[in-house]
Amino acid sequence: MRTIFAILKKELTSHLTTLWAWVVFTVMALLISIFFVQSIGMFSQVQDAARSDPGGWSALPADLQMYRNLTDGVMLPLWNVVLVVTLFVAPFLSMRLFAEERSKKTLELLLTVPIRPVEIVIGKYLGGLMVFILTLSVTLVFPVILSLIGNSESGSALEWRTVGLGYLSMLLWGGALVAIGMFVSSMTESQMVAAFVTFAIGLAWMILPSMGSKLGEPVRSALDYLAVDRQLQYLVKGVLDLKPIVFFGSVVAFFVLLTHRSVEAQRWT
Amino acid sequence: MAMIEVENLTRKYRDRVAIDALNFKIEEGDIVGFLGPNGAGKSTTMKILTGFMPPTSGKARVAGFDLFEHPLEAKRRIGYLPETPPLYTELTVHGYLKFVAELKGVPGSKIKSEIERVATGTGIVPELGRLTGVLSKGYRQRVGIAQAMLGDPALLILDEPTEGLDPRQRKEVLELIKSLAGKHTVVLSTHILSEVKAICQKVLIIHRGKIVADDTMAAITGGKETGLEDKFIQLTAE
Repeated sequence: MRTIFAILKKELTSHLTTLWAWVVFTVMALLISIFFVQSIGMFSQVQDAARSDPGGWSALPADLQMYRNLTDGVMLPLWNVVLVVTLFVAPFLSMRLFAEERSKKTLELLLTVPIRPVEIVIGKYLGGLMVFILTLSVTLVFPVILSLIGNSESGSALEWRTVGLGYLSMLLWGGALVAIGMFVSSMTESQMVAAFVTFAIGLAWMILPSMGSKLGEPVRSALDYLAVDRQLQYLVKGVLDLKPIVFFGSVVAFFVLLTHRSVEAQRWT
Repeated sequence: MAMIEVENLTRKYRDRVAIDALNFKIEEGDIVGFLGPNGAGKSTTMKILTGFMPPTSGKARVAGFDLFEHPLEAKRRIGYLPETPPLYTELTVHGYLKFVAELKGVPGSKIKSEIERVATGTGIVPELGRLTGVLSKGYRQRVGIAQAMLGDPALLILDEPTEGLDPRQRKEVLELIKSLAGKHTVVLSTHILSEVKAICQKVLIIHRGKIVADDTMAAITGGKETGLEDKFIQLTAE
């Protein structure tokens, strides 16, 4: 336990000294703010329209009804953006994990101190996950702004439960990408190759359903089941759905296990 | 008691045999020079003895523990300096030593005194606050040795500890290793014979993956000034 924590802590310290960490924080903050401002603009337009129309909300088309409250009108569209940005940034967070140990020859240290390889892998995964959580928490500023300046008849401007489950959704997606990235990183000395391959896998995963729609059953249902947005469709909307938690949890466990095998296997070459 | 016991240790890389059925014993408290031409199998043997790499066949035991049946018990007794000091260049010397101490399971309350002890021993106290990435080669090597000494392991395995150092740094590192005699068993590899002559009581010579000499320094040199060189050249001839 203590060694896992030591590795986690070291990953975090090391990561924060890299330029990539701060580039990723900035990109996350920048992109999400652009979409946030756009969302807010749309939200206030629709709200004005609803107020000036004598028929009120019932006079507006169905697809504008989501703008009745801030949670559905601003936070929900934001998740789609976070999902895509995560696909781009997660590979840069996970690429270091093992590739750097190999290129700097420090893996030799980790494998000769009295700890089990599984502790190294878990420590590193948790380190990578913490870094992703830090990146994701940059976006916390947006719901905080909304809750400070927004108001609603029902009291709280935001439904925090829905927002929280939205964050959990992003964490599941990011956590899975970090696990895949760690595995890829364990197979190469080049961080750039690790990042690129991880991105390619993540991209393929994300566009799976659109490829599957042309195929026949049962391939289509299978691909549909694997689809990220399909898995997360209820959880982001605030329904505590256990299915995606189990699904992404299994993906993480699978790739952590594969990384362990890959680290062990390298000692033989 | 034997600190290291090696039986029929063989390691192949695909079809190339790096080490071929090695057999030797190293007694507790000895300082042993592990010699051989470049590519003779020194690093491979050391990588196996530290549990980094499994052998293709054969057995290796450290303090009675088989390295691949009881790896944690064996590794607890080993401090290892690989060919390239395994430094995290983004950490300070102190941060790095603290991390390694935690990995080696040094109790939290003892970490501070343990870092002080190894830093004093290797003469890196003034460098504790610097990043390991900006250190000169000599200091990197010393940090590498300090790291190996953490947790006070009974056995130190040092792969070319004086490689790339200037004459003065060499002398200091050798004196440091010599000062460990008695308390630790030390195995160091090198291809610089004068260093071995200065500090080792025992010599192992490996050539093309086979042990060609395993004896005390006195027996190998036969009392002659150039005895070790002569023997080395004779044994490692084609």
